Amino acid sequence: MDTSNPAVFVNGHLIPNFIGKKVRAVVQVNQCDGGVATAKSSDDCQLTIKGLPEVPLLNYIEVIGIAESSNSISAEVWTDFGNTFDTNSYNQLCQLANGEFKSLFL
Amino acid sequence: MYSTSSQFDGNAAFSGGGFMPSQTTQSHDPSFVPSKNRDAQSLLPLTVKQIHDAYQSSDDKANLIVDGVDVNNVTLVGKVCNKVGRITDVTFVLDDGTGRIECNKWLQEAADTNVAEGILDGMYARLHGHLKGFQGKRTLNVFSFRPVTDFNEIANHFIECIYVHLYNSRMRVSASVPNQQHVMNSTPITPTKGYQAQAVPPSNQFSGHQINGQKSVEDMVLDVLHFPANRARIEGVPRDLIAQNLGISLDKLMVAIKNLIEEGVIYEAIADHYKSTVDG
Repeated sequence: MDTSNPAVFVNGHLIPNFIGKKVRAVVQVNQCDGGVATAKSSDDCQLTIKGLPEVPLLNYIEVIGIAESSNSISAEVWTDFGNTFDTNSYNQLCQLANGEFKSLFL
Repeated sequence: MYSTSSQFDGNAAFSGGGFMPSQTTQSHDPSFVPSKNRDAQSLLPLTVKQIHDAYQSSDDKANLIVDGVDVNNVTLVGKVCNKVGRITDVTFVLDDGTGRIECNKWLQEAADTNVAEGILDGMYARLHGHLKGFQGKRTLNVFSFRPVTDFNEIANHFIECIYVHLYNSRMRVSASVPNQQHVMNSTPITPTKGYQAQAVPPSNQFSGHQINGQKSVEDMVLDVLHFPANRARIEGVPRDLIAQNLGISLDKLMVAIKNLIEEGVIYEAIADHYKSTVDG
């Protein structure tokens, strides 16, 4: 068992707290060219995702990677969550996982 | 010497059956104790971080306790990685984002082999399993592996982890502040489980009602029937007398009497005369 390298649930507003660390976010990709995608986070922030291959536009994609700056993530792994995903619940989970119940996650 | 050989015979006699071998592999396990209540055997949704913390903080490495609850079976959701398939079992690491835990699934039936082939690196899965410590390593013995197809299940799982944590750490504690045994005996619908308390929002009103309930008309009728003078009446106590004693209407009394008869606590000795069954 190893908990030394967690991937933190983040939305757009939480990324600045984890620059240089591993994060996970679900984003809706608006545009994707040459490995750099622009996407919307679960709290409607505009993000840049690097290292993402061609993914279906407007689908919800989970990216796990390193937060490079307050609005960009360098993706290591990604999963297509399809086009019906409840971003509102996910966003609230991000807030709970970084707030009152942080001890369960980090 | 005798006990060793008899134990050996028992194992030999039952081995080879489809069901017993999995039991014998768990023979060192505390769950082998036959009388465990169902609460202790519940399936807990947990994060790997919670398991890790509980393992770090406990001295007793045999029993794992999270939020005051014995951990036996757990359910986790995460990403599969480092899968290694063998003929007898499959091992992999589950990464739920809070940590990683080694898992293995024994292949006992043909259906298990199909499941094992469906386990792929990178996929999200919902696991049900049993935590086992072996050679200082804690692994999850998986008995259900199900690929996640609706990804809302991931958020759902972690929200459920939060809920169960909250429920076990706060509601259970507050419910046990009054002597739980006593509370359970006197009032059947007490908030020993938190969500039942929530089902009745005005809790003060609720508990007040319960206090009245303890001296319900039924109880008062029994009190009257148990008066020594009334016990001596072979023919039973006339209903008018009971109503008069209690100062309640006959209609109200008859409802209570009907309930008591249905419960077998009293009976009608002769017409409109009632006796308590404890009087014989």
